[in-house]
Amino acid sequence: MKRKVPIAIYFVIGQFIAFFLDGSLSQILSGVLFKYPNSMVPYLTVLWLILAAFFGNVKKLHLYTWAAIIGFIFDMYYTGLFGVYVFIFPLVVYLCQMVYQILPPNFMSGFLVYFLGITVLVSLGYMANAFIGETDSSIAQFLVNTLAPTLALNLVLLAIVYFPVETLYRTHRQ
Amino acid sequence: MQKFFSSRKLVIVVVCLIVSFGLMSLSVAIRDKRNTPPLVQQFGNDIVGFADRIVAAPMNGIHHGFVSTKNLLNTYQENARLKSKVDQLTQTQVKDQVLTRENKQLKRQLNVGSTLTGYEKINAAVITRTPSTWASQIIINKGQASGIKKNMPVIAGPGLIGTVAEVNKTNSKVVLISNTAENSNRFAIQVLGDNSKVVNGIITSYDSATNRIVMGNITSKAKLSVGNRVTTSGLGGVIPKGIYVGKVSKVAQDDYGLAKKVYIKPAANLNDIEVVSVAVRD
Repeated sequence: MKRKVPIAIYFVIGQFIAFFLDGSLSQILSGVLFKYPNSMVPYLTVLWLILAAFFGNVKKLHLYTWAAIIGFIFDMYYTGLFGVYVFIFPLVVYLCQMVYQILPPNFMSGFLVYFLGITVLVSLGYMANAFIGETDSSIAQFLVNTLAPTLALNLVLLAIVYFPVETLYRTHRQ
Repeated sequence: MQKFFSSRKLVIVVVCLIVSFGLMSLSVAIRDKRNTPPLVQQFGNDIVGFADRIVAAPMNGIHHGFVSTKNLLNTYQENARLKSKVDQLTQTQVKDQVLTRENKQLKRQLNVGSTLTGYEKINAAVITRTPSTWASQIIINKGQASGIKKNMPVIAGPGLIGTVAEVNKTNSKVVLISNTAENSNRFAIQVLGDNSKVVNGIITSYDSATNRIVMGNITSKAKLSVGNRVTTSGLGGVIPKGIYVGKVSKVAQDDYGLAKKVYIKPAANLNDIEVVSVAVRD
């Protein structure tokens, strides 16, 4: 008999792979994702966190702690601006988990909740960057050129990843 | 709803907000004032950078495969086009060699040491790009250990793409010229205008809708026209002279009609960067 690998291990390893894939995809597909004037940003890190909140046990996985840790690394490595995603990631996970609990657990509600989560994430990120003068784009530009394409990209990614990840968590539930 | 806004949670939210703004201000202050980030941050970034290479290497490999196939399909057309340019290039190269040698001799005769034009290149590969709309940054695989310092200019392919913004021991962040932040990208550049008159200025902003660099506040009367070449001027700071930036694509008046505003099409493609060179002034 082989012993089963605990789901927490899968979760942590997947978390870091998702984190690095964010950067790698942005680099490799930068011609498509950041084509002027639009910009689509992949948020696989957040996708992985939110799917864990949907299907996994939040307490057992220490989800909020991991969200804060990965947010901190994100700030440090990618942007070099502390105190942004370290708070936004846990907040978004919390919101998504709260709303998902009320809704019937199926793909459509997951889709809606993720839509909400990404909107909150990108908007708060915009506010933080506008506060320190990192961006000078107006709210209208932000909505059309950043939020809409980013939502589209991330919802497609969700549709691709949703069912495989659900299966992974279901088989490890016992 | 009542539960959501309980006093304990409200306190947590307020404390988080305060800490968040504090940390943001602190990191901006550090970035503006210090040459290197604190040791802890450098150490963390180095470790994450190493781990990133494990993921980035296969991804870049796949990308490479795709690009190679695409190149193979374009080869015939490109070959025909390039053949016509080769003769011209050899001629220019030979002339360049002769002029460089002559320049060196003349400098020696005049006892002029190093001027603004001399620079060495440090080559580096791009590990990853910041997944963010606001920070157009890439992370490269060379750092302090290879002699890179903050604010050095970075070149990819034909021209300038940005400057080094943060240096760790083994990797560093490069802010691209497409970054719209107010506090970055004040390059000193010059336009070689008609009648070989030189107009000096700085890059003042970036127009993301059309992918143009904007050089503002030009009061010189010299005539500039579309297609004039733009290079760095080497004035003020660590950026050497003569790095190609791009070509003039439009000359317009500024909002008050007092000064000129020049739109420059960057020479390098900012969305397809794999290998870069950091220019170090002699």
